[in-house]
Amino acid sequence: MSSKHILDWDVNKKHFLLVRDFYERYRGEMNLVLLTGDATLDSKIAEKMTHRPGLALTGFTDVYSNRRIQVLGSTEWAYLESLGPEGRKLVFAKLARFPTPLWVLTHSLPPHEELLAMCEQYGIPLLRTKLGTQEFVTLAHRILAEWFAPYSDIHASLVDVYGVGMLYVGDSNIGKSECVLDLVERGHRLVADDSVRVRRIGDAVIGSCNSIVEHHMEIRGIGVIDIPRLFGIHAVRRVKKIELIVELQFWSPDASYERTGLDEKFANVLGVDVPKVVIPVSPGKNITVISEVMAMNQLMKLNGVNVAQEFNARIIQAMHDKGRRSPESELGSAFGRTDELYE
Amino acid sequence: MVKRVLPVTNRLGIHARPAGMIVDITTHAKSDVQIHYGDLRANAKSILNVMMLAAEPGSEVTFVIEGEDEERVADELQKLFENRFNED
Repeated sequence: MSSKHILDWDVNKKHFLLVRDFYERYRGEMNLVLLTGDATLDSKIAEKMTHRPGLALTGFTDVYSNRRIQVLGSTEWAYLESLGPEGRKLVFAKLARFPTPLWVLTHSLPPHEELLAMCEQYGIPLLRTKLGTQEFVTLAHRILAEWFAPYSDIHASLVDVYGVGMLYVGDSNIGKSECVLDLVERGHRLVADDSVRVRRIGDAVIGSCNSIVEHHMEIRGIGVIDIPRLFGIHAVRRVKKIELIVELQFWSPDASYERTGLDEKFANVLGVDVPKVVIPVSPGKNITVISEVMAMNQLMKLNGVNVAQEFNARIIQAMHDKGRRSPESELGSAFGRTDELYE
Repeated sequence: MVKRVLPVTNRLGIHARPAGMIVDITTHAKSDVQIHYGDLRANAKSILNVMMLAAEPGSEVTFVIEGEDEERVADELQKLFENRFNED
């Protein structure tokens, strides 16, 4: 039952990005100008890659990634320019048979009539950007990777504790929200309570809040509260990488809990292994300080210090030294030097 | 009360991992469990107490167990030591 909270998330994927959404969201940042009619913006992007159709322009279309965004840089533009109007007419007559989601001209290059005609006729949007080709492609890949990233909406809470993204999972009424509120009160930052949108971007698992709920919380007995208005803007953040999963469980006398810290557990989240700890909770037990300690310990591990391993090495060294020590020094090490009392 | 003398036969002695296994048994026991090693006495339900002994390979420890499940706890501990804490 315990791991089901973590492993049984339904993974969703977006199937397309409407060019209208892309254009309206990024027209400022990418300096986009729409060269075709407004209706062409209803086109859908379904692949998270871009394509530079150099070979397709030369007539080789046996392999042509036409479902991707088609990017024309100065190379492609210069080639089209060299063809003259008749040559371009032939090229675009052939390419018109392949459905494409979007064409983009970089470096603010002026569109050729033949390209514009093809786009208008088939309802394909044509955008122009001031950005260079590499800049546009890099930015577009980032945007598309985030948009098409697999995601889950999970019942959990996410808090940034000393810069460590801690995701709290566990049964309802185990006290996740109370723990989160306690952490916020101690100066840590709420990302999302009760529902977290989790996305995988590259090898990272990123959590964010729901855009409607944002940083509201429900506390039983009080109702809905607004965290940034109560505690200030520093009490919240919108997005955070998930670095530690804290599974809260009702304490059970029969269960075994980690004692040494030598065995690290992981939970697989959207294909990424994220460190996980199971914390037993009993009524009245304060897990806030434990949370802070876990965050600091995690920071130490990220900085290459593993106290559990160091401590174990110390014990093994002590056993090893025993054979070579007199009983007096053993006594000294066990009880501390008494002269320290008089310093 | 049960007294059980157990030889430490695993390669590394009672370091953190074996100590964790010992307290996993003792903390689930209803009995009081003491661990004696040389002149040192420790509460066998505390992992730091057990590790503090640094009982090395080739030594012996004595468990002193008192309570309703003392026999069962002694047998479980004996089995753990005989299996060399599943180390090898």
